[in-house]
Parts: sequence; structure tokens; C-alpha cells
Amino acid sequence: MLAGSLKVSGRPLTKRVIRHRSIYLMALPAFIWYAVFCYQPMYGVLLAFKDYKFNMGILHSPWVGLKYFSQFLYTSEFWSIIKNTVVISGLKLLLGFPAPIILALLMNEITHQKYKRVIQTFSYLPHFVSWVVVATLMNIIFTPYGGVVNSIRMRAFDLPAIFFMGEQRFFYPVIVLSDIWKGAGWGTIIYLAAITNINPELYEAAICDGAGKMSCMWHITLPGILPTAGIMFILATGGILNANMDQVLLLQKPSNIVVSQILDTYVLKVGIREGRFGFATAVGLFKSVFSAALVFTTNWVSKKVTEISIW
Amino acid sequence: MVAKAIIYTIVGLFGFATFYPFWYILIASFNSGADFTRGGVYLWPRVFTLANYREAFLSRMIVNALTISVGRTVLGVLLGISFTALFAYAMHIRTLPGRTWLVIYFFITTIVGGGMIPYYFLLRALNLTKSFWIYVIPSIFNFFNMVLMRTFFDGIPSELRESAVVDGANEWRVIARIYLPLSIPVMATVSLFIGVAHWNDWFTGAYYVSNQKLYPAATYLQKILTEAQAAQTIQVGRETAAMFDAINQTTPQSLQMAFVMLLTMPIVAVYPFLQKYYVKGVMVGAIKG
Repeated sequence: MLAGSLKVSGRPLTKRVIRHRSIYLMALPAFIWYAVFCYQPMYGVLLAFKDYKFNMGILHSPWVGLKYFSQFLYTSEFWSIIKNTVVISGLKLLLGFPAPIILALLMNEITHQKYKRVIQTFSYLPHFVSWVVVATLMNIIFTPYGGVVNSIRMRAFDLPAIFFMGEQRFFYPVIVLSDIWKGAGWGTIIYLAAITNINPELYEAAICDGAGKMSCMWHITLPGILPTAGIMFILATGGILNANMDQVLLLQKPSNIVVSQILDTYVLKVGIREGRFGFATAVGLFKSVFSAALVFTTNWVSKKVTEISIW
Repeated sequence: MVAKAIIYTIVGLFGFATFYPFWYILIASFNSGADFTRGGVYLWPRVFTLANYREAFLSRMIVNALTISVGRTVLGVLLGISFTALFAYAMHIRTLPGRTWLVIYFFITTIVGGGMIPYYFLLRALNLTKSFWIYVIPSIFNFFNMVLMRTFFDGIPSELRESAVVDGANEWRVIARIYLPLSIPVMATVSLFIGVAHWNDWFTGAYYVSNQKLYPAATYLQKILTEAQAAQTIQVGRETAAMFDAINQTTPQSLQMAFVMLLTMPIVAVYPFLQKYYVKGVMVGAIKG
């Protein structure tokens, strides 16, 4: 018979393979591309254990074992980088993760459809623009030299101008708030969809039993979106060490480097700027292991506590 | 009632906070730069001018960067969508011997990778760091986009393909005559995904590319931003801002705002489509994910 019907599966493998030759041809570019751009760099991880010599290539350069890892452990910056990475990730998870949930719950209460649509349109927009644009907007709006925020501070409240984007103490608030600003509106989509999947009879029954808006939200809507939130949380813990390296890179300045140097930005600095390839690869590998451990732990805890897990 | 008013206000404030920065830069970019430094332009241009945009289009660096951006976006979308379509078509054929192994082979790369430095090594070894193709070739495929398309293809009745094959059509004809016309929505979605990613990518240019002439607009904006920040940090921002082109009344800052808008406007232009298709894409991704 023909390719695609079930009877084919009884035929010998070679015949089936030949019959599908044009299909293999279609997948061939992807196959090669993945080998080159995804699997080859995995082999390149060997750099982390080699004293790379330009003329010898990765394979023939001498082994150094775990030298770079211990070097990293003993750099003076080690603990501050770990601390910054964990603090920034933790703050984003703690404050940035609930933000779209709260926003979705609030938006769900808005009955004026046109108002809701306008707000949604505005709040999704930042998701689509590049972090470079966002960082530039922030720089222009918060600059002490005639930026709109500082002019209002000075003119209306007679307060001194503050260099929000440069002072070290503002770095974490700036990171977390800009993260919420950019992502929270977009993040509501998935929760609003989860809310629409909640059985409306639950609300009717609750209202019959005399429940108010608040207790409906607390006892029906919130538990209704909890599974979605759980999955999103586990995924967020996995991505968090990767997520928004862009953002940190763009908001990083010499004046806040003490609190803004994270693992990823450090890899770029020592690797691409300083050319210490082996060392930088080792730091990158360290980060991958670290973030994998984070996902496994969260998934394990979540499974124990809430029975929600991604595998 | 009070609770309702509070909710409307909070949500409204969030909407305002996401909208106003764009509006502010927009009016600033249409305001005379020299006038803008005097402050007080918040809601509407005070001294309307197109000088900032004229100045931007006269800048060789900006025009070059925009050309690179447009080029990589157009080429990236065209090549990305064609190869992804073939890839997704192949992966949706259930009878393909070894299909499961192939999917595993592709899927693994979404979990483990080599990291930035081995990747940079690869780009250097391929001589891509000095070439325009660095923007196109390394981003042709994306597993998520493939899954999105494959899911759509799975929804096309397999009888269509089978009867076409009976009638003597080969797989390429099946794609061109049956699948493509039926898959316009998913093609649009994935094109937008790819296009937005290309337009917004500043990182490749900033860290992997060694030739300044190859900077796309997003990377060039990042370079300007870094310089502006350095200037502010050493407290000469005021002087820089005051330094303006007396004839055109533009300042480095107003020029930068026009440039930011040039980078944002294409996104806003496709935004209605983004909203329409992206939301669906996110939902499919979430279900499949």
C-alpha cells in the first residue's frame, strides 16, 4: 500500500525506510543543524577540563582535571557571585512569580469588557520589546538629568534627584520591578485561561451558600488555578538562572557590579572579554549543574507537598 | 463597590505604567531636542519637529544597523519558516521508521547544552563571528516552533495526504498543495515568533560579533546605552545633554529617543497580529510543554 497507511508496518525495515526517503531528506537539514549547533558545543564542554592551546585544538590540549573549578571556588568573587545569583533569582521568584497571578485575579474581577481589553493590550506590549529598549526607556525616564520621575520629585515634592539606575541600593528593586513590568501582563494570559476553565457551577453554588466575592476568589478561583501555578513555578525555578541574563547585563554598571555580577555575566566577562575559555566554561558548567539541582529539588519538594510535579 | 473601584484603579495603574513610558519616548522623539532638555514635556510634544528622525536617517551607523536588522529579520523568517515547516512535516509522519529516536535526539537539546563559551568557540571555528550569517544560520531551528507546527499538522486529516499519494503526488507536492494552504495561521504565528526574536536580539551582535559594521539596530542601541550610562556615571550627562546641534535642535538624547522608537514601531505595527496569534501559541505551548 502507500506510505502512511498502517499496513506498511508489516514490511521489511529497509523497504519502509526507502519509501520514506523524501521524509528523511526533509528532516536532514535539522538533523545536521542540531548536530553542529547543539551537540558540538556539548563536546566543547571538555574545555572546562583542558588547558586550551590554540594550536592543539580542544582534543589534544592537555588535561587539567578540576583545576578551573577549584580556581573558581577560591576566587575572591565566588561567594558574592553565588549570593547575587541566588538573591536575584530568589527575589524574582518571590515577587515576580505571584505578580501575574494577582494581576489575573484582579483582571478577572473587571466586568467592563472594553476597559479590560485596553488594559490587556497595554500590559502585553512590554513583553514584545527587547530588553535593550526597556533599559533605554528606564534610563531616560529615571535619569537625574531631567528624567520625568526626578522632575516630578523635584518640582512637586521638592525632593532631591536620585540616580535610580546607578546607585547600588536601587539595583535589586530596579531588577525586580522592571521584571514585573515587562512580564506580569503577559503572564496573566495563562492564568486567565485557567480561570475560564473553572466550572461556573462552583461559583453559583457558593453564591447560593452566601459566599461573597472575596471568599469566592479565595476558595474557588485560587484553588482552581493552583495546578497551573504549580507547574509554572517548577518551570520558573528551572529557567530562573538562565532567564533574563539580558536584563542583568543591560542594567549592570561599574557602580553596582558588587551586587549585579551573576554567574552568567561572569562567564561572559572572563570568557569572551578576557579570553579565559577553560575557566569560563567551567563556571558555565557549574551553573548548569546548579540550576539542574534546583529544578530537581523544587520538583521533589513540590511532589511531596502538593503532588504537583512535571515528571 | 469600594472594592471594585480599588481593583479598577490598581489594574488601571498597571496599564498606565506599561503604556506611559512608550508614550513619553514617542512624544519626546517628536519634540525638539533642545526644547526637551528644558523639561516639562510630559503629555504632548511642545515644539513639534521631525528633525530627530531626519537626523537618525542621516546617520550612517543607524541606517546601517537598521538595514542589518531588516535583512536578518526577513531572511531569518523566510529560511526559518521553510526549514521548520519541512522539519515539522517530517516529524508528524507517524509511520516514519525511527521517528521516536529522532524526536528524542532533537528534544534532548532543549534540556542540555554546551553553554556560551563552547558555543562561541563553535561560531569562531565556523568563521561566523565575522559574517552576517551568524544572525541567520545558528537560529534557523527551534524545537518549540517545530512542535507548534507539528501539532497543527497533526490536526490535518491524514486522508488528505494519503489520497494525494494514491493519485501519484510526492511528499513535496503534498506540502505545497495541501499543507501550506491549510496552515496559514500556524505559519503566521511561527513567522511572528521568529521575526520578533530576530528584531529584538542584541546579544549575538554584542558578544559574538567582532565587526562593528555588522551590528544590528538592537546591538547598536545597546552600545549607545552603555556609553550614555558611562557618561552619566561620571556625572557629565548634563553637559552631554546640553550639547546639541544648533541648526536641527537635536541632542544626543533626542536622537536616541528617535532611534528607540524606530526599534519599537515595527513591533507595535505587528502588535495586533502578535496578540491574535501569540496568545494561541502560548496556549498550545503550555498544553504541550
